[in-house]
Amino acid sequence: MDRLKIERVGGVAGFGGPHLKSRGELALSDLSAADQKAVEQLFAEPDKVPAARRGQADAFSYRITRGAQTIEVPEHAVPSAIRNSVKDVLE
Amino acid sequence: MPCTCCIIPNDVLTRLSQDKKLSATLRKQLVDTVQVSHELRELRNQAAKLTSVTAARSAGLVTLAAAPSVTAYDCKHTQSLPGTPVPKPKTSSDGSVKRAFNQTGKVAKFYQQVFNRNSIDDHGMTMMSSVHFGEKYNNAMWNGSQMIYGDGDGSIFVDFTRGSDVIGHELTHGVTQHSLQLAYSGDAGGLNESISDCFGSMFRQWESKQDVKKADWLIGRDIMGAAAKKKGFTCLRDMADPAAKHCLAPQPTKYSQITPGMDPHYSSGPPNLAFYTACTTLGGYSWARIGQVWYHSLTGFGPTPNMTMKAFAARTRQGAHTLYPGEAAVFAAVDAGWKKIGL
Ligand SMILES: [Zn+2]
Repeated sequence: MDRLKIERVGGVAGFGGPHLKSRGELALSDLSAADQKAVEQLFAEPDKVPAARRGQADAFSYRITRGAQTIEVPEHAVPSAIRNSVKDVLE
Repeated sequence: MPCTCCIIPNDVLTRLSQDKKLSATLRKQLVDTVQVSHELRELRNQAAKLTSVTAARSAGLVTLAAAPSVTAYDCKHTQSLPGTPVPKPKTSSDGSVKRAFNQTGKVAKFYQQVFNRNSIDDHGMTMMSSVHFGEKYNNAMWNGSQMIYGDGDGSIFVDFTRGSDVIGHELTHGVTQHSLQLAYSGDAGGLNESISDCFGSMFRQWESKQDVKKADWLIGRDIMGAAAKKKGFTCLRDMADPAAKHCLAPQPTKYSQITPGMDPHYSSGPPNLAFYTACTTLGGYSWARIGQVWYHSLTGFGPTPNMTMKAFAARTRQGAHTLYPGEAAVFAAVDAGWKKIGL
């Protein structure tokens, strides 16, 4: 349960479609204590993630998978270590 | 100067502010940041209320401002907003600053001259852009109050300010926020994205004085990087042929192909094709008739956040009659557009 699989989706280019992907992977234990706690919080109460700003469009969100659970979190609520873990690729 | 980053959640900031391992100065700054974040949130709530009130009552107001202010900020590769103000963006030696500033001014002119709209909110709202957001950031967005542009990674994408349609697209999200107030999922989400593509493309055509035949109808052609082009991707989306192989983000072409939970950048395909079909069926300049019908449908009726594509189609059909009662060809073109996608 230590591995986190991350996929960044959305944006004006529509990441997550057939040709454009943004993925990353990291160990929860590699994150700072504060980030680990933030991630635990996100998984514990995925419905309590701060909502996107009114009117906002084209922002990224992140699908974070731990074990069998996947949550989708708007970029503004994702710790920077997770945001920085992804790499954009063409397929 | 205290850190005023709005990205870190307040509970994390509060926790850090109580962390004895951090210096007293830093802890004080974190407390200040929580306070500033709180004030910003309050400000945003007030802005949201104002949006609703102005949308409901704007019809009777007289517009005074002649041209909106346009401002530019440099994030200097951080994700802190808005970044450092650029004092003279018009003559900046930084291409991203100059492009964002100049193109935003042109979008303002486009909305003013073509649709008689005074800026994003039709009340002269300042048009604010931040460039160099993040590191090699492959995105541009509207955050509810301003435009944000990344530099691109230089491989898949180049600087997002290079796309005039991208700039028109982002700004139009602001127009939608201050008019129809469409949600960002389901039918409304697809419509929201499509409206930004339609007006982004129209702006690009208007800038180059292209009629519907001359226009390429591509979205994002000017931001594609070498690696994407090498694989044959010439654009993000093609309004004329949403499912084409040269699209980096190929889309459905029929309303019936939209699936629940689909990203709005994909469900915008059918209404994009409807707009393209209406424009090319009628001919001439996209913004002269069909663009007016779409604009009327977007701004003429107050907010409808959960509008369906079917309802929007009905509104444009009605709008064609209302705006051009003596021109049956306009209605016929709009009708042909929606029929093409099964609506
Ligand atoms: Zn968009």
